[in-house]
Amino acid sequence: MMMSRLFSACALACLLSAPFSAPAWAHKVIASVYAEGDVIAGEIGFSNGDMAPDAVVEVFDPAGNRLGEARTDADGAFTFRPSQKVPHVFRSNLGAGHVAEVTMEVEDLPAMGGAVAQGAAPASTAGGAVVASSQGAPASALSMDEQEKILSGVVQKQLLPLRRELAAYKEKNDIQSILGGIGYIFGLFGLGFYIAARRKLAQVPTQAVADPSSHSPQKG
Amino acid sequence: MHIVDGALSLPVVAGGAVLAVGGLAVGLKSLTMEKIPAAGVLSATFFVASLIHVPIGPSSVHLIMNGLAGLVLGWAAFPALFVGLLLQAVFFGFGGVTVLGINAVNIALPAVMVFYLCRRGVASSSPLVSALWGALGGGLAIVFTTCFVALSLALSGEEFLPAAKLVFVAHIPVMVVEALITGAAVYLARRVKPDLFNSLATSNIARSSGSL
Repeated sequence: MMMSRLFSACALACLLSAPFSAPAWAHKVIASVYAEGDVIAGEIGFSNGDMAPDAVVEVFDPAGNRLGEARTDADGAFTFRPSQKVPHVFRSNLGAGHVAEVTMEVEDLPAMGGAVAQGAAPASTAGGAVVASSQGAPASALSMDEQEKILSGVVQKQLLPLRRELAAYKEKNDIQSILGGIGYIFGLFGLGFYIAARRKLAQVPTQAVADPSSHSPQKG
Repeated sequence: MHIVDGALSLPVVAGGAVLAVGGLAVGLKSLTMEKIPAAGVLSATFFVASLIHVPIGPSSVHLIMNGLAGLVLGWAAFPALFVGLLLQAVFFGFGGVTVLGINAVNIALPAVMVFYLCRRGVASSSPLVSALWGALGGGLAIVFTTCFVALSLALSGEEFLPAAKLVFVAHIPVMVVEALITGAAVYLARRVKPDLFNSLATSNIARSSGSL
């Protein structure tokens, strides 16, 4: 009993100190990709906030055929211009057993260059006039196409911190899952103890009955 | 320390799984009823210790505490550490389910090695001597683990020496910290419950010799 008390104290000490190291306890590789204009932009880093600079990112289709490669900059960001409408698998080996892998599905792919240009061109003159009347002089100088580009750039910029926060939140280990894990461990070993105890209890009565009879030499 | 899914080649993953199944079988056999509570607590200790990260340079490493598990449990450290690894993979995505086998071998086999290397020292009559042996065991377990991790990376095609150097150097602080913690834990256990290591170790030996 003393020893289990000792170890539960040890486990408790570890448990109590865990939340205080919260910002640095990540060890996992995180990779995220998203459409930005007509390219795929992505980031690779570790879940403690460090990014992976100057890493080679290889791009494959689901069958494993190589589509190309990209290289991350100093902030762990990379861009890739897709040329095929297939799911893209981005893979980067950061060494020492750290491999980042993330897949972008077809519906998340950015609009391919050709399609955007075709759709936007006829609408640009009419759309430009409507916006001009409500917004004033500066807007009228821009075509619909250019406005769209600026707008999407602004939205991208606004969304970036949110996206990062979301990615970090997904990697968060909260106290509930830690406690849940410990609960599972104790439950599992408790179950093992129950099975072991039942086996032992099942042995006792048969031995007690068998002992006076001829089975006694089998003992030991 | 936890190798993730997809970092290793298939033969290494398969070999690790086979070794892990063997280790688990031996471990479960040596897991007597007296050891089950200790195994559960050490499994939980390992599970939580891996969440405590020590920031070092550009990366961070975490405690493992497999040395202590090995010293107390012997072969039974295999199932205890395996359960911890499984739950870490499920709850936090540390490692992965396909590489569970090789990760279990990398972490639990050093525990067993430390048990055989240091159990005589830990059973010494002087608590101070056994604490020193415990500290040695705690540090050695990490040394072996880094070597195994580097070896599994090397077998998957990475250059052994650079990989080993990288993993080893990053874990030097962990070796020191774990040596201190394991030494302190052994010292404390010897003071409050002097026969902990003896009783569990001898029951292990008696059982294995009995089954022969």
